[in-house]
Amino acid sequence: MSFKDALNSGKFVVTAEVGPPKGTDIKEMIHHIELLKGKVDALNVTDNQSAVMRICSMAVCKIALEHGVEPILQMTCRDRNRIGLQSDLLGASILGIKNVLCMTGDHVLAGDHKQAKPVYDVESVQLLRIVDSLNNGKDMAGNELKGATDFFQGAVVTPEANPIEPQLIKFEKKVRAGAKFFQTQAIYDINKFKEFMSYARKFPVKILAGIVVLKSAGMANFINNNVPGIRVPQELIDELKAAGKEKALDTGLNIAARHIRQLKQENICDGVHIMAIGMEDKVPIIMERAGLI
Amino acid sequence: MIITKKKDFQELMENIKGYKSFFLIGCSECASLCGTGSQEAIDALTEALKAEGKEVTGGFVAKTGCQVLGTKTELKPFKEQLDKSECILIMSCGAGTQAATEIFEDKPVYPTNDSLFLGNMTRFQMFDERCSLCGKCILDKTGGICPLTACPKGILNGPCGGCKDGKCEVSPDIKCAWVRIYERMKRLDKLQELCDNALEAKDWSASIKPRTLVARPHKEEKKK
Repeated sequence: MSFKDALNSGKFVVTAEVGPPKGTDIKEMIHHIELLKGKVDALNVTDNQSAVMRICSMAVCKIALEHGVEPILQMTCRDRNRIGLQSDLLGASILGIKNVLCMTGDHVLAGDHKQAKPVYDVESVQLLRIVDSLNNGKDMAGNELKGATDFFQGAVVTPEANPIEPQLIKFEKKVRAGAKFFQTQAIYDINKFKEFMSYARKFPVKILAGIVVLKSAGMANFINNNVPGIRVPQELIDELKAAGKEKALDTGLNIAARHIRQLKQENICDGVHIMAIGMEDKVPIIMERAGLI
Repeated sequence: MIITKKKDFQELMENIKGYKSFFLIGCSECASLCGTGSQEAIDALTEALKAEGKEVTGGFVAKTGCQVLGTKTELKPFKEQLDKSECILIMSCGAGTQAATEIFEDKPVYPTNDSLFLGNMTRFQMFDERCSLCGKCILDKTGGICPLTACPKGILNGPCGGCKDGKCEVSPDIKCAWVRIYERMKRLDKLQELCDNALEAKDWSASIKPRTLVARPHKEEKKK
């Protein structure tokens, strides 16, 4: 079943992600893709994540397809203008890539080419409209296409952003621009997430809660101090601390599994997006402990 | 106004190492307010050049350095000093430098400043970039705050995921442009407007360089 059909069927969907490597050695990446094959409903392929130059998302999406895993093409507006974005979308379409996640993208100052000229000719809301337009057989300038695309397009949302109101206004704009599904920034406080979901449920879109594995109390503190829109509650930090150094990661995996189990059992959202960030091999373990496989 | 800052002195010396005598031209507008083209700045550079063994034949502060005809007229009384100078140093923005390039066809013209941005002076010699001269103003839709300029990504429809506690992902010193716009629109009771009106992708054709404007078309018509 395709990712789109799975979401529409009401199944609790699971996505994970693969970060393309920096360089042409893709052995480890293929190992991760193989590891997740048959377990996840789709695999996000990040687009020069954190503005660090890597293999392009489209090429890795094609490799995922060849290995029998449905990819979600992440597409940011940082590196290409509207011509490049549309051209790549048409290219992705003929390669058999069905899903696209539209994002503005981290600023070049976050990455490894700080002197690059950032593009941002369009941004996430406008990119969603572009995808919608290509699906309807026209480019964004209104020119007829010889053959339309058939993308299932999604976007991201940060349910715990501070302040939240401007983010929610943007969320609604994304819905109106054609977003069909959302993958959220990492969620650690399920009760707070429920509040967001009671708002988001008013819209005809599917929501996948972001799950980022906590490796240690130190990582949790780092996130709280540095990463926007993510808040690790103190009780989780205490739990990781109590586990001690050796068992911290295992506890982190348990926390992720526990959260996924609760999200599914209480039917809080439509699925989860697990971001293992370099620990792709741990995704099956989390899924197993969450009772998903 | 156009915000300028002095070039690194060593860089300037490297650029002008082939010349001995100089005439200095400042500008009484933006560069004076930035402290890069005032009489004081001319005096200071004159001293610095003399200390390096260079000769300064004279200097003056143009009324509006980017005004080609006006500056040319103002330079007439300085003919003798100009003739004695191998090189002209312009202490203004890039527009002023290029006005001089047009005026002095046969003399080398070097800038002493780097031109930074179009800015507002918020306090004495403190400047903020607020307008990008994009050619098609959207301030009517964003509560009078330009997200194209105030947001490092120029996002037109709301904050990105990098906004943290109302601050920008690029620097905690920058308040998120979209949080500012949200707060202003809320104060003006225009949040619904902000929510309903998703902005189209920018029409960049209005900023294709170089741009030209004839602000007095009736005069042009008379010529015809």
